[in-house]
Amino acid sequence: MKRRFFLQLLATGLSGLAFSPRKTGAAILKSPIGTNRLRPPGAVPEELFPGKCIRCGRCVEVCPYRSIIMLDIRYGIHAGTPFIEAENVPCYLCMKCVDVCPTGSLQRIRQPETRMGLAIINTFTCLAYEGITLCRTCYDKCPFVEKAIRLEQLKPVIDEQHCTGCGICTNACPVTTADGKKAVNIEPIYASDKVTP
Amino acid sequence: MSVAKSSKTPALQVIRWSHRRLIVLTGAFMLIAINPFLNYFLQIDFVQGWYQSLGIGSLWFVSPLEGLESLLITKSVYMPALVGMLIPVILAFLLGRVFCSWLCPVSFLLELLDRLRRAITRRRHLHNKLVVAKRLLWFTLIAEFLLSMILGAPLFVFLSPPGLVGREIMMAVFFHKLALEGVVLLVVIVLEFVTRRMFCRTFCPLGGLLALIGSHRRLVVQLDREACTHCGLCNRSCPMGLQPEENEAKTAYCWNCGECLESCQDNVLAFTWRKNGSG
Repeated sequence: MKRRFFLQLLATGLSGLAFSPRKTGAAILKSPIGTNRLRPPGAVPEELFPGKCIRCGRCVEVCPYRSIIMLDIRYGIHAGTPFIEAENVPCYLCMKCVDVCPTGSLQRIRQPETRMGLAIINTFTCLAYEGITLCRTCYDKCPFVEKAIRLEQLKPVIDEQHCTGCGICTNACPVTTADGKKAVNIEPIYASDKVTP
Repeated sequence: MSVAKSSKTPALQVIRWSHRRLIVLTGAFMLIAINPFLNYFLQIDFVQGWYQSLGIGSLWFVSPLEGLESLLITKSVYMPALVGMLIPVILAFLLGRVFCSWLCPVSFLLELLDRLRRAITRRRHLHNKLVVAKRLLWFTLIAEFLLSMILGAPLFVFLSPPGLVGREIMMAVFFHKLALEGVVLLVVIVLEFVTRRMFCRTFCPLGGLLALIGSHRRLVVQLDREACTHCGLCNRSCPMGLQPEENEAKTAYCWNCGECLESCQDNVLAFTWRKNGSG
């Protein structure tokens, strides 16, 4: 192979990147975090996370519940970052992943103070709110009994002061709507905290 | 062959560096190949991770380039990461790019490929079809940092071939699928057919950083100029395309693999520990 040909090939490849469809650029940088799509406990805000995490996969390897999965290149710059799909396997807050993170992307935090997200009940699909059955699965499953989820007039109510967003209620919820969501979903509202002014 | 001229030590005593290196490479590869199985099936999580960050009990290693990227991009210092980078940096400072030649899983794969090719074709060394300027290594390093800083996201952390080997093995064991970015590994292997260690010698930013740290390393391959017969065997054996015969093994590009020592018929090359960084 001639050197010139090789350099031409390289230049073509690089300029090809610039002409790639506009949507690609947005998809490369777009955060995969959303409803029921969470970072492990103690994660720094999403603004910092992809920069801080070195994708070493140690949190994935130590997770005893296999809650943490690993993203691949289809998620752009978020490839290799840890990720929890709450409705599949929730986080049981054992904090083993936090102990092995070498970069401080996951920072040590006490269990009740963890804020992976906030559970939000969809009162239009929840069986208890709809009056279909006396379902209280989420109330029974919540690890912070009578704190994060309480029953008011036999309907579950979430307390923002105590909900850690672990997703155990989401995982247990018997209702699955057409879009794959549950009647109680975790919204990662704390992940969008701004760190830079 | 110029063996006729008697060498100082008998040929029997020549240390088989390539064998030793292959054993170390295999051990290093096995560590990250077996570990996911231990983690997944036996729940033994004493060792975690691979060569991006390896945790053996409470002894943590962090790859210097990945750690530096994370540090530069978030502009924050995290002590465990710095402490984890300490041992690799000291190793590179004293011994040079030995991680690349003695531990890196990509190096292991390429070494296997080399041996396989040798077994099939009988030709000892592949003809280098494209020789790129060695200085390109520094440009790779600079470009990698610039691109990461511009994008605001570290690039090498998810595209590094040394890390990808570990990640693909882990993905295969844990999720029974492979990550798509593994094609980078295929590219590295294809490049190997163009030029020996094409990726390692010019396009690996981690190798660039380790070479930079180890540019004044203590352990070097020293040439005995008077005794050298200029047979050119070492030049042909060098996987990095250096010319030990011209004392090029003392430059930053050498990764101390010891191939030239083994190829030398007259024992004029030797690993030496130099007292200060120069000379």
